[in-house]
Amino acid sequence: MKDIVNANFDELRVTANRNRIKILDMVHGGASGHIGGALSAVDVITYLGECVIDYGDKERDRFILSKGHAVTALYAELHELGFIEDDELVTFRRIHSRLQGHTNLLYLPQTDYTSGLLGQGLSYGVGMALGKRLKKSADTVYVMMGDGEMHEGQVWEALMEASYYRLDNLVLIVDRNGFCSHQPVENVISIEPLADRLEAFGWNVKEIDGHSMEQIHSCLTGLRSQYGKPKCIISHTVKGKGISFMENNGKWHRSIPTEEEYQRARKELIERGGVN
Amino acid sequence: MDQERRCTIPKDAIGPTLLELAKENDKIVVMSSDVSVSCNIEMFHEKCPDRFFEMGISEQSTMSASGGLAAEGFIPVYVALAIFSNGMTWPQTRQVCNANLNVKIIGTHAGVDDGQDGSGHHATEDVAISRALPRMTVLTPSDENEVRAAVKAMVEYEGPVYMRVAREPQPVIHEKECEFTIGKAEYLGDEGDDFAIVFEGTALKQALEGWEKLKSLGKRGKLISIRSVKPLDVSCIRDIAAKVKTIITVENHSVIGGLYSAVCECLAERKYKAVVKAVGFGDVFAMSGTSAEIKETYHVSGQRICEAALEEDR
Repeated sequence: MKDIVNANFDELRVTANRNRIKILDMVHGGASGHIGGALSAVDVITYLGECVIDYGDKERDRFILSKGHAVTALYAELHELGFIEDDELVTFRRIHSRLQGHTNLLYLPQTDYTSGLLGQGLSYGVGMALGKRLKKSADTVYVMMGDGEMHEGQVWEALMEASYYRLDNLVLIVDRNGFCSHQPVENVISIEPLADRLEAFGWNVKEIDGHSMEQIHSCLTGLRSQYGKPKCIISHTVKGKGISFMENNGKWHRSIPTEEEYQRARKELIERGGVN
Repeated sequence: MDQERRCTIPKDAIGPTLLELAKENDKIVVMSSDVSVSCNIEMFHEKCPDRFFEMGISEQSTMSASGGLAAEGFIPVYVALAIFSNGMTWPQTRQVCNANLNVKIIGTHAGVDDGQDGSGHHATEDVAISRALPRMTVLTPSDENEVRAAVKAMVEYEGPVYMRVAREPQPVIHEKECEFTIGKAEYLGDEGDDFAIVFEGTALKQALEGWEKLKSLGKRGKLISIRSVKPLDVSCIRDIAAKVKTIITVENHSVIGGLYSAVCECLAERKYKAVVKAVGFGDVFAMSGTSAEIKETYHVSGQRICEAALEEDR
């Protein structure tokens, strides 16, 4: 792992904003993709890529993006780290591209996990964490799930297994942006009281503002010295974060911005800083 | 073939074989979803507790966790009744295949072998739903010695594999150290071109009964264990289709999507001498009973094989 203790939060914010612009460009350019959930997840994904996971290593921490539809956030960060070429970003979701519509490790091994069907990623995390323990590895397995994804029954199987096996090398991050595909999670099927439920399942649970680099950093570094239980971070976020007309608007789960909307969105993001 | 051969339960070979392999290969881990006693793999749990993961009654998560272990370089072998390890896990298995992960899936009590538990426990579609998945290999060994060889072959092979194994006692027709090659069918008898019985391993007993009956009626044919439904030994099937009058496929499985379908698919694009007749379960959920009773009732039997072969003679 990278183990960056003294993170530069301003630089991280700039990087995350640059990643937001790439997300917008990919979804607009590919005329396909899920922008809202990528914009909610991108700060945590940027932090993990910049400060925690050394994607250049073979034996390393893992990051499973179980909500694989938010893949543009991961591609943006992998581009930031040099694993994706500049001219590759525009090929997102196009035929023959390495940038498949959901994470696919056969096309891009750094994505660690092939997704497409929700609810399975945490179980992969359980398997990887068991494997790392068997190898006596000090690596950590990070899994990011959507909050709506918690409707999937398999998630609760994995929650039980992780606590039974005391997988303290497993960190679940719930991207709590409050939305299922197009509607508020609480209006579809409530998952509250989420923290209580996770604690009752034997997890060490923390809650943060998932757009605050300081809180992401402090929570993830603090959890490293805690043992005996799997760890969960409920990361409170805003779907569509950073683009005013997309924020908390279910329409932007997978809508494609028109040219006019694209220009407006890009201008907003540029004004936030981060583009050279 | 000698009808008086010793019969044993093929699934009972799984545990000892995995234990033997695990001594040489520290990457092998065994996954269980609360049926380790039924599958007779508890010995692995006792002898190799660090490499045995009991995941509880959670087949979906067990399959995906197997994917996670495979991604970390292990060779997870998930053993459960076929209706659980296969029937309960199709979306998870699909995602394992999509990532080409090295997960090994064993389905015991194949077909109607968990007969008395009723149709909810019958696994008569597992070959169909497995072979439809890209990258999946589907194996159907027969007796205990062939199961042992097939488990070794599946562990050596790189990629996802599904293997179905009988619980119904089967005659032991293979030597202890027999060979098993993925994608290669096995000739058990080649005495003439009147007919060819092509069977999947968990229908061995019925295939042998049909073979003996036809022999006693003076018919001379071929007896072939397909061993591997995917990849299918296409050249073997086409070769016999060019020679014999009738191919009878025999399976402890639905005739929709299983061995009959696989054989027909590889013959349909050209004209061959043979017609292909199916002996297997029709489009039904079978009733409770012993495996032998159910097979007899639904005409998955030596008698039916014999009739199918003779029909073409009229």
